[in-house]
Amino acid sequence: MKIVVCIKQVPATNDAKIDPETKRIIREGLKAIMNPFDTYALEEGVRLREKLGGEVIALTMGPPKAEAVLREALAAGADRGILLSDRAFGGSDTWATSYALAKAIEKIGDVDLVICGKQAIDGDTAQVGPGISAHLNWMQAASVMAVEQVDESCITVKRMHEEGHDICKMQLPAVLTVVKDINTPRIPSLKGRLAAQKAQIPVWKPEDIGADPDKLGLNGSPTRVVKTQPPDPRQTDTIRIEGTAQECARALVRELRLRSLV
Amino acid sequence: MLHHIQNKIYHVEILPPKQESEKLEKDLELFAQKYTRVMESGYCACITDNAMGNLSFQGTEMIQELELPVIPEQVMIHLNTFHTKENLDEILNDCVNLGIKYLLIISGDGSERLPKLKPSDIGVTGSESVTSVELLQYIRREYAGKFVLGVAFNPYEPPEHEFEKMERKIAAGATFIVTQPLIEKNAVVDRLLEKYPDIPVIVEAWMSKKLYLLSEAVGYTIPEDQDYDPIATLKMLHQTYPQCGVYLALLGFKRQYDLIKDIWV
Repeated sequence: MKIVVCIKQVPATNDAKIDPETKRIIREGLKAIMNPFDTYALEEGVRLREKLGGEVIALTMGPPKAEAVLREALAAGADRGILLSDRAFGGSDTWATSYALAKAIEKIGDVDLVICGKQAIDGDTAQVGPGISAHLNWMQAASVMAVEQVDESCITVKRMHEEGHDICKMQLPAVLTVVKDINTPRIPSLKGRLAAQKAQIPVWKPEDIGADPDKLGLNGSPTRVVKTQPPDPRQTDTIRIEGTAQECARALVRELRLRSLV
Repeated sequence: MLHHIQNKIYHVEILPPKQESEKLEKDLELFAQKYTRVMESGYCACITDNAMGNLSFQGTEMIQELELPVIPEQVMIHLNTFHTKENLDEILNDCVNLGIKYLLIISGDGSERLPKLKPSDIGVTGSESVTSVELLQYIRREYAGKFVLGVAFNPYEPPEHEFEKMERKIAAGATFIVTQPLIEKNAVVDRLLEKYPDIPVIVEAWMSKKLYLLSEAVGYTIPEDQDYDPIATLKMLHQTYPQCGVYLALLGFKRQYDLIKDIWV
């Protein structure tokens, strides 16, 4: 089974600042990590490969430094990584991004399954996975919490929604976006990490994937961000509970219940 | 473990590189240097397991990848409850294959990225979580006779609770005890020594000058500017607890290492 896992490098902080001109996150100076939801997508891809054989290809679009997130994916079990990087990709919204990723998936060829994280923690749109499926005209299931069964032509998944879950059987090739419940991502081994450091990572440009330049970057992005602002800081308060251990435990449970935390 | 105390073998903590290290090659080299130095000194290298919940490489994979020698009497691996079952067994099997016999079993500090063992993973019924007690029981059952198992003792926790836990740890197979860092004579540790005269106890010496980092462990705020002399504290611990071994936490390999060799004589 040939599996492509789409991953994204995101800032590892809640302290992101917004550029007032471009309305985009100022990424300079922020530590970058793999989007946490994508670690679950990668783990699921690796598990499916371990079970069924085949190959896992990690795919990302971003600046040259996004190569780091591909090395992280290789350390965690991906067989190879591909970076889409060019100025022409810059400024792409979710539609243009999913177009570029879909073109890269077509170029990889014979892909059976694309797995993405539910959403990226910087944009929180949850649109890229479904966007890829729209561009490729493949079946998709979003918020997948379990892969129930896979064979050569079909995949059955458990899809989470507000009222419970659905069991969906789809023809392959297909696109999944996954939630945290699907697995526990493995911690990369030292051996994997050292091998990943030495791996060659090809960089593909728009012409390499046969992308229409008018469908990339700002030109290819139908959405315009008119205003962005960081969320208000979370309000925290401290309550000191005093009394015997039993009284404290009772008071703690009461406070947690009042906040609907238990 | 008694032999370590009788032969004045220090337990020297070594932290493996963090997963997020941006200078991994250098960190690996440094780890290998520290490990080799501890071996050459005849001390026991104690390798932590994701200490403070920081994702780090495992001691066993460090030893394998760097092809470091294992002298069974001189290596101790920390093992906590934040692993998948598969990973736990991999570590334990690696320890067996490498000849590592000393394990310090702790509940450990978790983090969002670290999986936690589930009771069902290790055949535990009647408990909602896995603590060091359940982990000890599992290792003793599944790896019978393969390891010498130690546990942690925290004199800063409510003593009755801590002593009750220690009873269970010993019943589960612990044969030596390592305390939290001591910076002065501690009445709860004195009680521990009285209660378990036949069990080797290793007291932890805090070798960093940054004493305030211990605030959380001891349960009160230590000011950042508090003067602290780790070497003087180490000497005091030897005097106060001559029957105990000593675990050196955060020992400075550049400035402190050469100073310790003449202290425990």
